[in-house]
Amino acid sequence: MVQIQDDYETKLGQTTGWTGIPTHYCPGCEHGILTRLIGLTLEEMGLLKKAVMVDSVGCSVLAYDYFNCDHIQAPHGRAPAVMAGVKRTHPELIVFTIQGDGDALAIGLLETVYAAIRGEPITVFLYNNSIYGMTGGQMAPTTMPGQITTTTPYGREVESTGNPIDIMKILSPIERVSYLRRGVLVPQPVKAKHGLMYQVKNILDAKRIIENAFKVQQKGGYAFVEFLGTCNVNWKMTIEESKHYPFDQTIKQYPPGVFRDRFGVEGKIL
Amino acid sequence: MTVAQHRSKDTVSPQETQDGRPKALVLVVPELCKGCELCVYACPSGNLVLSHSLNKKGYHPAIFSYEGTQGPCTACGICYWVCPDLAIWEVRRLKK
Amino acid sequence: MTERVLMKGNEALAYGSLNAGLNAYFAYPITPSTETPETLAREYGNPNYPNFRVFLQAASELEAVNMTLGAACTGALAMTATSSPGFSLKQEAISYAAGMEVPFVVINVNRGGPGLGNLGAEQSDYFQTVKGGGHGGYQLIVLAPNSVQEMFDLPRTAFDLAFKYRNPVIILADAFLGQLKEDIHAVPPGNGLTRDTSWATLGSENGTRHILNSLHLDPDDQENHERHLHEKYEKMRDEVASETFLTDDAEIVLVSYGIASRISKNAVSLARDQGLRLGLLRPITLNPFPYDLVRILAGQGKKLLVVELNAGQMVQDVRLAADGTGRVEHLGRLGGNVPSTKQILAKAKEMMD
Repeated sequence: MVQIQDDYETKLGQTTGWTGIPTHYCPGCEHGILTRLIGLTLEEMGLLKKAVMVDSVGCSVLAYDYFNCDHIQAPHGRAPAVMAGVKRTHPELIVFTIQGDGDALAIGLLETVYAAIRGEPITVFLYNNSIYGMTGGQMAPTTMPGQITTTTPYGREVESTGNPIDIMKILSPIERVSYLRRGVLVPQPVKAKHGLMYQVKNILDAKRIIENAFKVQQKGGYAFVEFLGTCNVNWKMTIEESKHYPFDQTIKQYPPGVFRDRFGVEGKIL
Repeated sequence: MTVAQHRSKDTVSPQETQDGRPKALVLVVPELCKGCELCVYACPSGNLVLSHSLNKKGYHPAIFSYEGTQGPCTACGICYWVCPDLAIWEVRRLKK
Repeated sequence: MTERVLMKGNEALAYGSLNAGLNAYFAYPITPSTETPETLAREYGNPNYPNFRVFLQAASELEAVNMTLGAACTGALAMTATSSPGFSLKQEAISYAAGMEVPFVVINVNRGGPGLGNLGAEQSDYFQTVKGGGHGGYQLIVLAPNSVQEMFDLPRTAFDLAFKYRNPVIILADAFLGQLKEDIHAVPPGNGLTRDTSWATLGSENGTRHILNSLHLDPDDQENHERHLHEKYEKMRDEVASETFLTDDAEIVLVSYGIASRISKNAVSLARDQGLRLGLLRPITLNPFPYDLVRILAGQGKKLLVVELNAGQMVQDVRLAADGTGRVEHLGRLGGNVPSTKQILAKAKEMMD
C-alpha cells in the first residue's frame, strides 16, 4: 500500500504562481513551459504579491487566466509603455510581460527600443518562434528568408520584405540596457540508444535566465530576454519535427548568448 | 501514439523498491495533459506512456508507471521540466 | 496662488491639473497644445505640488497615451494632452481604457482638420470626441470649457468624474482657447482627491488579484460586460451640465460651446440691445448632452441656431433632441476662422422671417 502523504517527500511541486486554470496553448508549445518557469521563479523569489503582469497581444493574451498576480491588458505592441507608466508611478511593483514576435518587434518596435533607451526597470520576455502564432501563421519580423508562412506562401523574399530582425543587435549598443539574454526554451532532441530522447538542459538554463531577469529589475535595470520557441501548428510540422527546427535552423540566425550583463547576474557560464 | 514495452513485474530487482514501495512517484493530472508526448520521449527510463483512453478534451493523456522500459523512475524531474501543460503535477520520492 | 492671475488657456489646464492633484503626465508635443506639457515640465519638482511625481516626454503620441493608461491602472491621476491628429492616434488606448474601466484624462485642443489641417481653432472633432472615435461601443464624458477660468477648473471635475465612473474623461478645448490669455481666480493647491482605488493593480497582497482587461472571448461574458458599461453610461447622464443665458423669453436660442459660445454670447447681448430676443444654450458636458433642455426649448416654439466651428456636427444632436418640433439651423466657420457677431445676427434675423 503506497501511503503518499507520509512516506514521500515532494522533490518538485506545483507552483502557486500558476492559477491552475488549464492553458489554451497548442500541444507541445513552449509557452506552457515558460508559464511554469515564470510562475516558479516569482513564487521562489517572493515576488508574486507585488507582481503586475502586462498582457500583450499574441498567444500570451490569456495570461490573466494563468499567472497568479495582478494583470493589465495592453494594446498590441504597447506593453513596454504601459509597464513604464505602472513602474514610474509605483516603483515597488514588479512588472513584466511576455511578448510575441509581432508585439515586440513589429508594431511595438518603437516602444521596445525606447524602453531600452530610457533603461526602464522592467522585464520583457520575448517568445520568438519566427511566425505570428495567434493570428494563424503569418510572416513575423523574425521569419527566416525562404520560410513559408500564410503571407509568404512562396517563401519569404528579402528583396521585398527585408531580412529577419535580430533585436539583440538593435538593443545591445544602447547605453542604459542592463540585461540582454537570448536562451532556448525548446527541449533538445537527441538520439539515445533506445530511440528519440529530449534533453532539458535548455529549460533549466531558461529558469536561471528568468531569475536573472527579475533580479535585474530589483536592481533597477532594464532586462530583455528572448527565448527561442516553436510553433509546430503554424510551421506545419509534427511536435517532434518542430523540436529539431530551432537547433537545425533558428539558432544559426539567432545564436543564444549573453549580450549585456551590467550587474553580472550571469555568475557562471551556462 | 506510442506503446511502451513494460518489463514484467517479475524482473524488478530488490534494489529498485524499498519494502515493496516505489522509490519515486510522478503524479500526472490526466485532464491537463494534451498528449504531446514530450515527457514520453524525455524520460530517460521510459516511465511514461500515452494512455489508450481519452480525457475529456479528447487527448490520450500520459500515464506513469514506476517500472519503465529502461529502468525504474529515479525522480530526476525531467518530465516535470519538459511538460508544457503543467500536467506533471509533482515528482515525489520516498523519504529516507 | 490666491490672487487673480493672467494665464494662457493651455497653462491653465496645467495648473488646474496640478491643483487637482495630478500624479503623472506623459507628454508629446503638438501645436496648439504644447504649452501644457511645457508648463508641467517647468513645475515638476515644485514643492507646492507634492503629488506630481512623474513627468516624462514619450517618443510618440502612442507611447504617451499608453504610459498614461499604465499609470492610470495603478489608480494614479494620469493625464496627457494633444491636438486633433494626435487625438486620432490615441483612440485605441482610449477604447481600451473604456473597456477596462480605467479612469484617465485626455485633453484634445481641437485644430483644423482633416489630416494635417492647420493650427487654427475648429470644433471639427466633435463627432470623434463625443461619439467615441475609437472602436467599440463605449462613451466618454466630454467636458467643453469656454474660458481660461474653466480651463483651470475643469481638470478637477474631469478627475472627479473619471474616478467616480471609472471611465476616461476628455476635455475638449480648441486652438483659440489654448492660446487665449485671461485673468483667472486660481484656487490654492488641494491635497489631492480621495478616491476609490480598490480596483487598481497595486499587487495582490491580500490574496485578491486585480485584473484590468477588456477581452471577453465568451459571447455572453462580452454581452454582459457591454450591458454593464451601458448601464454605467445611463447613470453618467446625471452629470449633464450646461449654461443658459436669456433663454426664457428668447425667440431664437443659439446653441454653442467652446470659443464659439463666447462670440455667441456677445451676439445675444448685441441682439438684445437691438430689441431682438436671442438667447444662448451652452453645453458644458458634450456627453452627456443636454438633450432634455434642447427638447424643452424647441417644445416652447423657439428656433435653434447652432453656431460651431465646423460644417455641421453638434447640430445633428440638437436636431435629434428637437425631434422635428422646430426649426434648427447651423452657422459654421472653418479653418481657424470664427463667425463675427454681425454674421450671427444676420443669420438670426434671417431665421426670424
